[in-house]
Amino acid sequence: MINRTIRLSLLFVLLILLQVLVFNNIQFSGFVNPYIYLLFILLLPFEIPGWLLLLLSFLTGLTVDLFSLSPGMHTFATVLAGFVRPNILRIISPRDGYESGSGPSMQAYGFRWFFIYTALIVLIHHTSLFYIEVFRFQDFFRTMFRVIMSSVFSLAFILLFEFSRKGK
Amino acid sequence: MRNLLNFLARFSNTIIFLFLEGVALYMLATGNHYHNARIGNTVRGITRGLEGRISNGRSYLNLREVNEKLLAENVALRNRLGRVIKPENSYFSSYTDTLFNQKYIFASAEVVNNSVNRQKNFFTLNRGARQGIKVDMAVTSENGVAGVIVGCSENYSIAMSLINVDFKLSARIRANGYFGSLNWDGHNYQYAVLNEIPQHVSVNVGDTIEATGYSAIFPEGTLIGTISEYEKVGGDFYKIKVLLVSDFKKLHFVEIIGDLKKTEKLDLEKLFQ
Repeated sequence: MINRTIRLSLLFVLLILLQVLVFNNIQFSGFVNPYIYLLFILLLPFEIPGWLLLLLSFLTGLTVDLFSLSPGMHTFATVLAGFVRPNILRIISPRDGYESGSGPSMQAYGFRWFFIYTALIVLIHHTSLFYIEVFRFQDFFRTMFRVIMSSVFSLAFILLFEFSRKGK
Repeated sequence: MRNLLNFLARFSNTIIFLFLEGVALYMLATGNHYHNARIGNTVRGITRGLEGRISNGRSYLNLREVNEKLLAENVALRNRLGRVIKPENSYFSSYTDTLFNQKYIFASAEVVNNSVNRQKNFFTLNRGARQGIKVDMAVTSENGVAGVIVGCSENYSIAMSLINVDFKLSARIRANGYFGSLNWDGHNYQYAVLNEIPQHVSVNVGDTIEATGYSAIFPEGTLIGTISEYEKVGGDFYKIKVLLVSDFKKLHFVEIIGDLKKTEKLDLEKLFQ
């Protein structure tokens, strides 16, 4: 238990550092910006209480916001992601349920499952993030295009990260 | 109490979620100028819409007063305009007068009595000789011909309505300039009849009918109405039905127009009759 807490804390620090130092500076053709810090919310254990999940989402978003000078935006999107996570887990749960005492991982539940899980949450997170950023419905389809492009890249990087974790 | 606690326990996550999102939105609004401005604008837009509606209602109640003020202002402006703008053909006029060649004076009045259902309709105005109203001045409403003053007391005057079978007015078709005589046939208060337009003239439904100014009562070009239908009668002339611009059933604020050079014109014409 304590071991896992430490591991998750390290993951948190690592992901935040990666995000603010590396990924925030990648801007493919000016508008594609992957957000991999979401992986931290994705990897929290199944039996985490709802309030803690929301609080951790809030803290994650807040930290990213502090580093990327965008108060509120990431916080809003990440809290939303944290809120929908239990529902999504319930919807896509495998036939024999989740193994207690573990977290979502590609190793345990397969690529297909992890891909759907990640894609859904990334899409929700990015949609709210980008629409909060432009904060109007003019250029609706332009924003949607940005959402989709960034989601594809975030998804790719998150899966890559998960693959490398699997190798350990 | 227990129900409340149950409720709180059941929806605790949602409540925490809403609270945290509220905090995020608060940070969003206070930390970003752009979002702050947009949220502020939205809130202001809502309150402004409400205020707009309220003041709309209020202004409706004040409409009467505003109308009167506008009329007074219109009259003052037109009187000044008449002094400034000379008539178009003033190049050839050799006389000088003390009125800067002003041809028309304007006054406003309110209709205090009116009828549309008789054959000889008159309406009463709340201005009279004391306010400078004289017999044979023109009365217009909404820029359309309404009637002619036929009698004045000190503070009131009577005008013969256009919809009076005795009313005759020289009118022409604006499009081609052919003139005829307009009068009311006594049927419908919305229509008058224009006669004496020869049949070789092309007449179209919707053409504008205006006053000629021959009678020295109505200024040239004052609107009368539009052609609504026409038919050939006898050998030579059209009988044209004209939809009147003025609605005599709701005649309220009118303008009185006096021709300052009328006597001169009529005196000259009298010499050759």
